[in-house]
Amino acid sequence: MDPAAFEWNAMHGWAIATAAMVSAGCAVVGTLLVVRRMSLLGDAISHAVLPGIAVAVLAGGRPGGPLVLLGAVAAALVTVGLTQVLRSEGGLAEDSSAGVVFTTLFAAGVVLITAAASRIDLDPSCVLYGILELVPFDTIRIAGLEMPRAFVTAGLVFATILLGCVLTWKEQLFAAFDPDAARAAGMPVTATTIGLLAAAALATVASFEAVGAILVVAMLVVPAATAELLSRRLHRMMLLAVVIAVVSAAIGYLAAWHWNTSAAGMIAVVLGAAYVLAAVAAPQDGLVARLAAQAALNWRVTAEDCLAFLWREEESARRGPESRDRGGWTLRQRVALAWMSWAGGVLWTADGWRLTDSGRTRAETVVRSHRLWEAWLGHHVKLPLDHLHPPAEWIEHHLGADVRARIEAEVGGRDTDPHGRAIPPEQTS
Amino acid sequence: MAGEDRHQGPHTIEFHDVTVAYGRRPVLWNIDLAIDAPGLFAIIGPNGAGKSTLLKAALGLVPLAGGTVTFFGKPFADVRRRIGYVPQRETVDWDFPVSVMDVVLMGTYPRLGWFRRPGPAERDCARACLGRVGLADVADRQIGRLSGGQQQRVFLARALAQQADVYFLDEPLAGVDARSQDQIFRVLSELRGEGRLVVVVHHDLRTAAEWFDGVALVDMRLVASGPTASVLTSDNLRRTYAGPLDVLDEIGLAVEQARRTR
Repeated sequence: MDPAAFEWNAMHGWAIATAAMVSAGCAVVGTLLVVRRMSLLGDAISHAVLPGIAVAVLAGGRPGGPLVLLGAVAAALVTVGLTQVLRSEGGLAEDSSAGVVFTTLFAAGVVLITAAASRIDLDPSCVLYGILELVPFDTIRIAGLEMPRAFVTAGLVFATILLGCVLTWKEQLFAAFDPDAARAAGMPVTATTIGLLAAAALATVASFEAVGAILVVAMLVVPAATAELLSRRLHRMMLLAVVIAVVSAAIGYLAAWHWNTSAAGMIAVVLGAAYVLAAVAAPQDGLVARLAAQAALNWRVTAEDCLAFLWREEESARRGPESRDRGGWTLRQRVALAWMSWAGGVLWTADGWRLTDSGRTRAETVVRSHRLWEAWLGHHVKLPLDHLHPPAEWIEHHLGADVRARIEAEVGGRDTDPHGRAIPPEQTS
Repeated sequence: MAGEDRHQGPHTIEFHDVTVAYGRRPVLWNIDLAIDAPGLFAIIGPNGAGKSTLLKAALGLVPLAGGTVTFFGKPFADVRRRIGYVPQRETVDWDFPVSVMDVVLMGTYPRLGWFRRPGPAERDCARACLGRVGLADVADRQIGRLSGGQQQRVFLARALAQQADVYFLDEPLAGVDARSQDQIFRVLSELRGEGRLVVVVHHDLRTAAEWFDGVALVDMRLVASGPTASVLTSDNLRRTYAGPLDVLDEIGLAVEQARRTR
């Protein structure tokens, strides 16, 4: 960004602060919606509050005022109620009934606002897309400080949501994880659910001016979904969702200013990018981590197969002059052997690859696992001889010492596999 | 048990003429059943017989179409603190971001009331319950990283943390390894030894005969109930597992259809 082009002033600061505040509120509510697998309902509510807002404005409320907040919450609860009624009485599936209810209510809101456009101070396109850039110009004076009205609303809503969340944390947690047990234990499951839905409505309506009805869905769902990839505890997930939401709001706003495009749109794009980044790079379940673990396993299997092969070669050399025909090593095996020679498991000699002592120990463990498993299968499952090798070839890389000991006990301490070959003893290094 | 009323005072649990319907369709018909503490009591029957529904009806999780259920002679709502419930393991999302400790602590929530958080006393209680089911060393693990049997024991520990007098367990031994099964049975026997009543929805007749004091055979209606040895007779079992009770099923369907077409 060209520093000269970005004239920092308080307007930008207030716009970013407002965006951050509404995102934070959405992230807290969104976390609970996502872990309850209710994000679709968040989507529905964010749209269905529109007629509530329209009616409240027609009745004399002003955008961001208490009457409008109340109208939005009422509309949200009507949406959820109607969804339940359609499901129980109309026999519709939950997603279909939510789809019918919220699109109809949203459309009714659009019709109302457009019809009354001359009489009320509510711009349909503003409701759909929000105008974050204009937020700083509608201000209110509080304690001698000129502040954007939208920021004040968002701040109050965020404080309310946060307070409610902290005070009812254990109720929310129990109801979200195991509603049946919570209800049986006398926890107020229905009340906490209604509270959560009302909070979703509040967070949504507070976000309308800044980001609009369509993109607020991204704010509800995406930071929480991203945080879920990165955290294993609910409170950490919520904290992380708030951080992601706030940082994305700031980055999105600045990027939009730089490229001269919609701030709300850019914030949602940044949130999406953050999700992709987390999905790829999450330390435990990320794509990279999973691929790396898979590759490491595959290489270990190749390396152990090479070691076991060399060990069997030594074994047959001990038994007699007839030599095993091995053909050549594949490229993958050569790479694995080269790597093991660096790690000290094998040596390159004039006669080809040979095991070192440590390589021999490891090879014996693999062969032991293999033959023990063949013995177990032959003994307990009574498989024919030609069925024994493939499963053992696969399982030999995955048995720990304790499992081997158990298998040994269960095959009755025999020391040969069903093919008559000796089972090497357990290595004690 | 049911039938002979030598019992003093109210039964620990009493189902009186309980009928349960899903929508309009009855799935359990006119159940009369009394169970008394202490004891290990199994509810047994084929798939779809309404065993879980019977538990849920007692706990107010599904509405009764008729009849009453009382605990210690009182309605459930008056004594719910004294009753612990372990739902089927598959009913919750085990990827939920909570630790083992978090889940067991939930058992202490009901006695805390609004706005109070679990403190050191609750944590000690939860830790002791985890120790009792042999899971003290995985307290900080995320629940999704446990085996099925361990998950079931976490659920049991949560119920123990509730310090109830009556325990309802829905299929606690389904898909559970041998070690977990032994551990669970040992804890359940301890509960009986402490004078409590444990009611288990169960599917395995062999272990039922071995472990439980009393049994109810259920297949949409109560086939038989009482001491295990007298109930698990080949005649009773044939009546329970004879296949779906076509008449009850068809009547249920007919009731549903009549409401629909009206």
